[in-house]
Amino acid sequence: MKALYVSVISLMTLLGSVVTAEDTKNAVKIMQNVYDRPTGKDMSGTLTMTLKNSRGDLRIRSIKQSIKSEKAIEKKLMFFTAPADVRNTSFMSWSYSEPGKNDDQWIYLPALKRIKRISSSGSGDYFMGSDFTYDDLGDRQPNEDTHKIIGKETVDGKKCIIVESKSVNQGYMYSRTITWVIDSVWIGLKKEFYDEQGELLKTLQVKEYKQINGYWTVLNTEMYNAQKDHTTIMKLADVKFDTGISDDLFSERTMQRGL
Amino acid sequence: MNCVRMSLALIYVVVLGTTTFAAELPVLSGYVRNYTGVIASKNPDFAILQNTVNLSLEYRKDKVGLKINPWLYHYPKTELEIGLREAYLDMFLNSLDIRIGKQQIMWGKGEGVFITDIISPKDMREFLLPDFEEIRIGVNALKMNLFRGKHNFELVLLPQFVPTILPDEGSIWRPKISFPLRPTIDSTKIDVPLLVENGEVFGKYSLMTSVADIDVLGGYTWDDDPTMHIRKTMNPQTQTLAAIEITPRHHRLIVAGTAFSTVVGDFVIRSEGAWYRGKYFSTLDMSDADGVVEKDYINYLVGTDFNLWEIKFSAQYIQKAILDYSEAISDPQFENMVTFLARRDFLRETLTLDFFTYIGIDESDALLKPRVQYAFADGFELQLGANIFVGDSGRFGIYDKNDMLYLKAKFAF
Repeated sequence: MKALYVSVISLMTLLGSVVTAEDTKNAVKIMQNVYDRPTGKDMSGTLTMTLKNSRGDLRIRSIKQSIKSEKAIEKKLMFFTAPADVRNTSFMSWSYSEPGKNDDQWIYLPALKRIKRISSSGSGDYFMGSDFTYDDLGDRQPNEDTHKIIGKETVDGKKCIIVESKSVNQGYMYSRTITWVIDSVWIGLKKEFYDEQGELLKTLQVKEYKQINGYWTVLNTEMYNAQKDHTTIMKLADVKFDTGISDDLFSERTMQRGL
Repeated sequence: MNCVRMSLALIYVVVLGTTTFAAELPVLSGYVRNYTGVIASKNPDFAILQNTVNLSLEYRKDKVGLKINPWLYHYPKTELEIGLREAYLDMFLNSLDIRIGKQQIMWGKGEGVFITDIISPKDMREFLLPDFEEIRIGVNALKMNLFRGKHNFELVLLPQFVPTILPDEGSIWRPKISFPLRPTIDSTKIDVPLLVENGEVFGKYSLMTSVADIDVLGGYTWDDDPTMHIRKTMNPQTQTLAAIEITPRHHRLIVAGTAFSTVVGDFVIRSEGAWYRGKYFSTLDMSDADGVVEKDYINYLVGTDFNLWEIKFSAQYIQKAILDYSEAISDPQFENMVTFLARRDFLRETLTLDFFTYIGIDESDALLKPRVQYAFADGFELQLGANIFVGDSGRFGIYDKNDMLYLKAKFAF
């Protein structure tokens, strides 16, 4: 419950773009276009995360969230509505485009009735027991990895370019990732994550996406951890873009009061 | 009783009011918990056998909201304890939030200590062992927050003083005080009458920025803990002590403080401190007829939170210092304490191991609190833990014989 980088906008950034870029002939440019995909000035929605273990047991987490993007800063506020033991907990983060500047993050714990500033380190931790790490859900900049086109493939009837990415930093949690980016639509339809030993760890698949207010929006994704036989299904609903969310929303007041 | 009446009246007003909000339904949540604790000794005995029902009814619509939080404790050997932790009404105006009713108000940046957390008094019947949510007592208050961007101005008015709840006579948590003679207790002055002039006022300014979060606060309050005025009567013939009379009384206290937190690299740095004016301390100076002397004191902490090897660590250093100290004062001039927390989650946050400790540096005493929590299912949690007191004297050492193992089963809904 600390560096909750989760944001569907960020997830969308990771997965897709509406760039009609015939000139994206190399992998770096493809991933940069994915990263630069328009996501609106603000977004709000309800996120439901279903955790399924190998026995089929389900655990469900529900979150209301609002996001506002400005030139150099993106503000996110998440308000947990289920399960009962985390209800009314809220999380706020301010992310900066300035290289090297860490996120500012706060968490409100209703039992303590206090807002705590927290450190944004630990991006390799898993978010709320799911199969997504904070890093999986965050804004990973293209220049943090090297990229290589390793092939083309048709997935679910859609032509995809396959891009392999490796971190430029030693010690990153994944030795490499492989992303199937839909040609001409530029949505990452599938992504494989390999562990530090080079073994397949997780597979992310987009199950549903559509345009809302002109923005490509992924509404249903599934992350399968092959080593743990564990799955996380993430669904986004009640999505609204560009409603003019005030900057005042991202404040101590809303964290305590809720969205 | 006044407190209960006021709370019930508030509920009545609020619930009636909700009939006009018919569009949205109130949300009912809460938990049921069994808490069984055993004193770890050669002859183990139950330290606690408690069943708890905690309910929270919340309603919010547009510019109004309410919360009612009744609780029920059931003990095998005593009657049911029923109370209201909170029962308040919210009004949300443009940039002003107003909360009226019984409420818990918690200030400060520290963990497990009460330095600038000066509003809600404490229920110390089980020392510092319950969850902090249960240690804080709800108080009838009018709280107003004026928000201006990153600035928050908070004003709190308490019409009624509520003192610390001390452990009952005979409780294992009641500190033992020895006297050469059995004292008589005069309790006629312990209550603070419900008068306007006896109200409490608190104010806080908060700033939340990318660089740091800063609070500046103050309060015109009462000392939640009673001062024990001691009158000694000497036998004129033998010049020996003939009688001791103790008169507990609460005194006015003025508090000013500040708190901040910031992030440096991977470390969260926290600090808070306060200056208290009007505190009375016990003294051995025979010239002080009632055995107490008024002195100011300061209390502060510095702390840090960080992650290492997937473990969350937190450490704090706390010091209390009596100003203009005289050697006759029973309390030491400086009291130094350290707290430490280590916590790690396993199995997708269903299994948690944590270890929290208070360490009294001056008396070499400590309270060690190892704990295992397992979320059997969403909302259903088992806790197995221990409270281990170390030392012979000091804040924690005096409970050396109260080492305890406990099991809590809790279902939140």
